[in-house]
Amino acid sequence: MQFWALIVDSFRESRDRKIFWVMLIIELFVAAAMFCVSFEPGRVDFLFGLWTIKTDSFTALSGLAHDKIAAIAVTGVLDLVMGWIGVALAIVATAGFFPSLLERGGVDVVLAKPISRAGLFLGKYVGSMVFVLFHAVFFIFLTFLIIGFRWGTWLPGYLLCIPLLVILFSYVYCISAWAGVRFRSAAVAINISIGAWVIFAGIQGVGDLFDAFPDWKKNRWAYHTSSVARWVVPKTHDVTYLAGKWSGAAVSTALVPKMDEADRSTMDRAGEAELERMNLNPLYTIGSSLLFEAVIVAFAIRRFSRTDY
Amino acid sequence: MVALTEMTNWAVDLIDVRKNYPRNIQALRGVNIQVGRGEIFGLLGPNGAGKTTLVKIMMTVVRPTHALGTILGRPLGHRGKLARIGYLPENHRFPGYLKGLQLLDYYAALAKVPRATRRTRGPMLLEQLGLSQWGDMRIDKYSKGMMQRLGIAQALMNDPEMVVLDEPTDGLDPVGRRDVRQLFLELRRAGKTVFLNSHLLSELEMVCDRVAILVEGLVARQGTLSELTEHTVEFRITFSGDVLPIKNKLVDMQAAVDGDLIVLSGHDATKVNAVIDLLRKQGLTIESVQPHRFSLEDILVEAMGGPQSQNQERKGVARGNRDLQRPV
Repeated sequence: MQFWALIVDSFRESRDRKIFWVMLIIELFVAAAMFCVSFEPGRVDFLFGLWTIKTDSFTALSGLAHDKIAAIAVTGVLDLVMGWIGVALAIVATAGFFPSLLERGGVDVVLAKPISRAGLFLGKYVGSMVFVLFHAVFFIFLTFLIIGFRWGTWLPGYLLCIPLLVILFSYVYCISAWAGVRFRSAAVAINISIGAWVIFAGIQGVGDLFDAFPDWKKNRWAYHTSSVARWVVPKTHDVTYLAGKWSGAAVSTALVPKMDEADRSTMDRAGEAELERMNLNPLYTIGSSLLFEAVIVAFAIRRFSRTDY
Repeated sequence: MVALTEMTNWAVDLIDVRKNYPRNIQALRGVNIQVGRGEIFGLLGPNGAGKTTLVKIMMTVVRPTHALGTILGRPLGHRGKLARIGYLPENHRFPGYLKGLQLLDYYAALAKVPRATRRTRGPMLLEQLGLSQWGDMRIDKYSKGMMQRLGIAQALMNDPEMVVLDEPTDGLDPVGRRDVRQLFLELRRAGKTVFLNSHLLSELEMVCDRVAILVEGLVARQGTLSELTEHTVEFRITFSGDVLPIKNKLVDMQAAVDGDLIVLSGHDATKVNAVIDLLRKQGLTIESVQPHRFSLEDILVEAMGGPQSQNQERKGVARGNRDLQRPV
């Protein structure tokens, strides 16, 4: 009952913020843009046929075409939503949840209720996830239907992007929640969490470079430091790749044999590294990242439980 | 056995509550307070005395450096018992995105009040506090007084055994204050304990059965209003004529002379008669004799002059209480 009350309250709070509606409008805009496109044998129509591009790529909507459409959906849509814009907006929208909970005069009432501080924290934390879950379900399901009905390709694996999007957000949100409890300021929480996200991306980027240029691994100290750091931090890049892989995107390993030699020869070293990552173990990718999140959440709960308000 | 019964009758029994903040700031220096079940208790003291800190410790918002005692028969800090306590903090700030009824429902759900009860009790309390027309209005549209009444309503949503209210009449107009005072009396009639923290002494004086005066982190005075004022009566005698020849005699009789006014501390009427006899003997005209009982404000001002530590005296009681608590 208490947990549900906290979740409902978090959702009401998020609905009260303008950014909630801004995100909804962006999602509708992207969905509408996708709806304006259709893939026909020998051509792609934009704006319901006002503008047409002739191409053989989608002829007869073969298996290859299916994968290419999936690739367009994943790279065009998921990169937008799961990449910088979507998660950044979600962070901005939710960064104020803990600072507003801890406002002087507001926190006293909730702390005086028969609920442990850990329970209170987790209720609010999960409430923030519900905000993202709502947007993820709305956007992914809407675009899933558009891809199916308008583009003629049904991608059941694409729906797995819903939990993946929530998980990806949670990796960054744990930092935001900790900063919110520690500094009680939405602005500070946003800056710290976005900063942490950039650091996560940087660490993974350095790791990719070691994969792309094996000679660099001779500097063993740097390589081991990078490997350890890469293991510790949330694998935000890899979650996006997992989403692509599970959606059946064209860059998946399943498609590689279908590529012709010309395509294969143009594949650069970074591409090889990318393919290597496509073989990543979901348990490792998600599990190790969740471990990081659990540690940060434990620190935040400890702080919350030991602070006088 | 008598002591055991007395102990369990305390709604609040705080023993040696201390709170130190960094940089050696001692907000509470060993507070001992007892509040009987079903009584209206007032906590008063000057700014910075530690009243709000003490209330927050009772409500688990602030962690004490050291504390013993019980609230509603459970150790201080027992979270489960908070379901039976209602609390209104000072300068509360409720989320502006909620409507009146939503706010009551939210806080009541956190207090583990069943949904069916919440649905009936919310409108009833809004009606009782004059907010029945405002239940579906966002609370960022509420005036300060309405917000205060809503705050009191949320404190009562769980039908508590005890309500702890920090400055409950803050922001209310005179009619609102009277209504809230009536509410306190109704709660007492219903057997609830009301713990008030207020700097409005006249408000406390009108409703409280017992009060404690907190000064610099210590309880300077504690008891019923009559207990506190029992020894704080003085007689004021006004007269006309020259008092100078008998001034030394009056001083010997512990009377203070100030122009044509003589102030005699205490409630011993025989002393008053002696002074009157002396004045008459001197041929002075007595114009009036008025007994004057100290107000709560007088007691507070006097208490602020020098709080007395009760630690040594209370520690013995604390040990006794701990022994008695085991079988309970």
